[in-house]
Amino acid sequence: MSATEALSATRPGHGVAARSWTFVRRHVLTVYSSLFFLYLLLPIGIVVAFSFNHPVGRFNYVWQGFTWDNWRYWDGVPGLRSAIVLSLQVALLASIAATILGTLIALALVRYGFRGRGATNLLIFLPLSTPEIVLGASLLTLFLNLNVAFGFWTILIAHVMFCISFAVVTVKARLIGFDRHLEEAAMDLGANEWTTFRKVTLPLIAPAILAALLLCFAISIDDFVVTYFNSGPRITFPLFVWGAARIGVPPQVNVIGTAIFAIAVTGMLANVLVQIRRAKAAASV
Amino acid sequence: MAFLHRHRGLTPYLLLAPGLAWLAVFFIVPLGFLAYQSLQSGNFDVGYAFSWAWGNYWHAIRDYRGHFIRSLEYAGIATALALVVSYPVAYWIAFRGGRWKNLLLLFIVAPFFVTYLIRTLAWETILADNGFVVRTLQAVHLLGSGGRLLATSTAVVAGITYNFLPFMALPLYVSLEQIDESLIEAAQDLYASRWKAFLRVTLPLSLPGVIAGTLLTFIPAAGDFINAQLLGSPQNHMIGNVIQSKFLELTDYPAAASMSFVLMILILMAVLAYARAVGTEKLTG
Amino acid sequence: MTDLYTRRKLLERAAAGGAVLTVPGFLAACGGSGKKAAATAASSSHKLAKTLRFSNWTLYMDTNNKKHTHPTLLQFQQKYGVQVQYTEDINDNASFFGKIQGPLSRGQSIDRDLIVMTDNSRYPSLLIKKGWVEKLDKNAIPNIKNLQPALQHPNWDPNRDYSLPWQSGMTGIAFNDKLSDPVLSIDDLFGNPKLKGKITCLNEMADALSLVMLSNGDDPSNVTDKTFNRAIAKIKKAVDSKQIRQFTGNDYAPPLAKGDLAAAMSWSGDIAQIGNKHIHWNLATDGGDIWTDNMLIPKGANVYTASVYMNFAYDPKIAAQIEGGDPKTGDTGVYYICPVVGAREVLLKKQPAIAKNALIFPTKKMLDNVHIFDAKALNNQKYLTVWQNLISA
Repeated sequence: MSATEALSATRPGHGVAARSWTFVRRHVLTVYSSLFFLYLLLPIGIVVAFSFNHPVGRFNYVWQGFTWDNWRYWDGVPGLRSAIVLSLQVALLASIAATILGTLIALALVRYGFRGRGATNLLIFLPLSTPEIVLGASLLTLFLNLNVAFGFWTILIAHVMFCISFAVVTVKARLIGFDRHLEEAAMDLGANEWTTFRKVTLPLIAPAILAALLLCFAISIDDFVVTYFNSGPRITFPLFVWGAARIGVPPQVNVIGTAIFAIAVTGMLANVLVQIRRAKAAASV
Repeated sequence: MAFLHRHRGLTPYLLLAPGLAWLAVFFIVPLGFLAYQSLQSGNFDVGYAFSWAWGNYWHAIRDYRGHFIRSLEYAGIATALALVVSYPVAYWIAFRGGRWKNLLLLFIVAPFFVTYLIRTLAWETILADNGFVVRTLQAVHLLGSGGRLLATSTAVVAGITYNFLPFMALPLYVSLEQIDESLIEAAQDLYASRWKAFLRVTLPLSLPGVIAGTLLTFIPAAGDFINAQLLGSPQNHMIGNVIQSKFLELTDYPAAASMSFVLMILILMAVLAYARAVGTEKLTG
Repeated sequence: MTDLYTRRKLLERAAAGGAVLTVPGFLAACGGSGKKAAATAASSSHKLAKTLRFSNWTLYMDTNNKKHTHPTLLQFQQKYGVQVQYTEDINDNASFFGKIQGPLSRGQSIDRDLIVMTDNSRYPSLLIKKGWVEKLDKNAIPNIKNLQPALQHPNWDPNRDYSLPWQSGMTGIAFNDKLSDPVLSIDDLFGNPKLKGKITCLNEMADALSLVMLSNGDDPSNVTDKTFNRAIAKIKKAVDSKQIRQFTGNDYAPPLAKGDLAAAMSWSGDIAQIGNKHIHWNLATDGGDIWTDNMLIPKGANVYTASVYMNFAYDPKIAAQIEGGDPKTGDTGVYYICPVVGAREVLLKKQPAIAKNALIFPTKKMLDNVHIFDAKALNNQKYLTVWQNLISA
């Protein structure tokens, strides 16, 4: 018997009651989390359900009958496809750029002492606290003064701008409390700073970087107000939806939302399955 | 690399440069123009002129004090709720997620793939007066017999909480994920209960995540207006709604600008108080 | 709105129309054969541009859903050789104005030849006042004679020098017959205790105040401080007593459809689209208002090309197509109120159901009972502030 096992044997109440209690305790978190995801995805469920609705008029709010038509003619609303493609492009590029810039800032803030640290923190928080409408309108003014043509690049610039803060704060949470000893050990073993960063630091903060990427992607793909002011003639998915809302959002919007979600989930699932297969292969060697 | 070695003091500045430059050009400069606008007077018809109109700030506070307070209130409650609701799930994903972690994280941001408007409309369906939720609450007498959820402050706060859950959950996950499980085991071997181990070890180590999540939730939530507009009654409107209307409907740019600054200052004051309470080093790393 | 037409004016118009009829056709033949595009500067030149840049609201043009095209725009292209760059980037008057006022106030062009804004907001009149829109080239628009009489003289553009209606809508009251007895007047809507917390009011000042003023016996096309305050007081009472659940744009549609609302101040076009037999829309007994989405030509546009398009859209056959689509080819129409006289007759033959729909082609009785809100009041900063504070308590 190991020391831990011996200790647990002497813990009070090691009978059936205690074991059931342990069972409950072990699984209450799982049950709770399942409920959480149910709550989180409930509106999505409604959206998915209504993508199969056959609305009599233009409003898709009351269930009126099942149909595959919306999925068959998902592309049937002019402008919808180009809107979602644009949104995905911007979200992808903006989240990558913002995460890179944000990670660099986070590293500097946590690892180094420098003048202007307070001001830097303030600068990071300010965009978060500025109402979107003034953020968008004041950026518009800047672009007008610089005589910039509105379109893809102005949208991208705006998105990177408001995503940086989110990336910084997310990655910072990981860097604070990061065990520097691991890096020191690597360097003691002969690695230089860059190798250490690449092989030790980066993999360890990878979850934070991924989380920042996801968060920035989500924010970017959903942004309406700032994009509206700086999009010129280009239409992103949220702009399209808000525009359609006046006359009635077509069910194809539900289809698109569902499809993106499904594709992302499938992609992640495939990733997991590949990992499992690899682990099995490695184990069986 | 050798360059960086010799100029070690430069490293933080080099890391900060790209991100801060981006924010400086695309946020600070527009913000400066906004500050300039906030001190103008006049109206849209005759034009605006800079006149050190500090009165704009006074009027903003005097006329819309209630809205400011309400916004901080709703944002504060929503943040607390988001924290309480998300923490167990972030814990569950971090410690029990295994290879499904990334997939679960994706599920958390999934609602953002369907735009804000569609999500909120789905909630209007879920919380409808004759819907399942309201009828259940009436049955258990949590809601009066003629009661409703929509067009109340409850719906607004619930909407804000829902929309900002990922902003809370992801940073929480990020800092929980890096906690070394052996620390918790050691604590359990030394302490009698898992609960104490959680309180004394896990919770403090996850504090950077808690702080990050709180900031990322509270700050933007205070400026939100969409939930109030769609899920609230006129008595539930937030300062974001007022700023929106001052800017767009009344084209009263000095008023909108000064109100935005008042909001930002209030938020920063709240953040400072919060930082003092949790200890500044945790906030700034 | 009283019809200010006199016999003299009618004859004048007819004469002008006749003389100019052939000119656009001739010029189109010249300009359409690929001759160089006109400069984007506002011009009195009569050359068609290569491209017409048209900004409109979403789902506000006839559409073929399978091929995702706009059939009438294609026809315009074929007839005049002008490419149409059609963007649906207007979803709200205030936001759109907020976006374009930047460049326009600096004298920059917004790269559009046509935009569409609603006159129950202050923006069309504001644009005219600021000099940010061009005058129509009426010589290129002989079909302007087809404009509905009721819409010919709005007080913010009495001679239609700067604008032409695209589609109109009316404001009235909708109610759900499963949840309430018929709600036909504002007094009933705001005063009936059975409706408490189950009604909404519109957040557009022009529409809400029109109806309330009419219920007070006042005239919404001529607003005074007294009539304004009377109307505001009536609404405020309903807000404070929680009779009014929310102020909405057309987001009254979901709760109305689902039964969260028993009645709502609402726009005519939406109700047909809800598709619920139990929801009925009527003009309020004291009268309602009519609002119009208007085509405007922003500064820096190619006035001639824009005007030629307006003329094209005012051809009754084209207007009928925009309005009702074409079931044979699977085109959907717009289904709001058509401003073009003669379209109804065309549709009577092809799609009688649409032609007889009073919400798309209102009866004379309805048109006599609707008013256009006083544009001066829409630009009164004091009124606007009071209104905003009312709906954002």
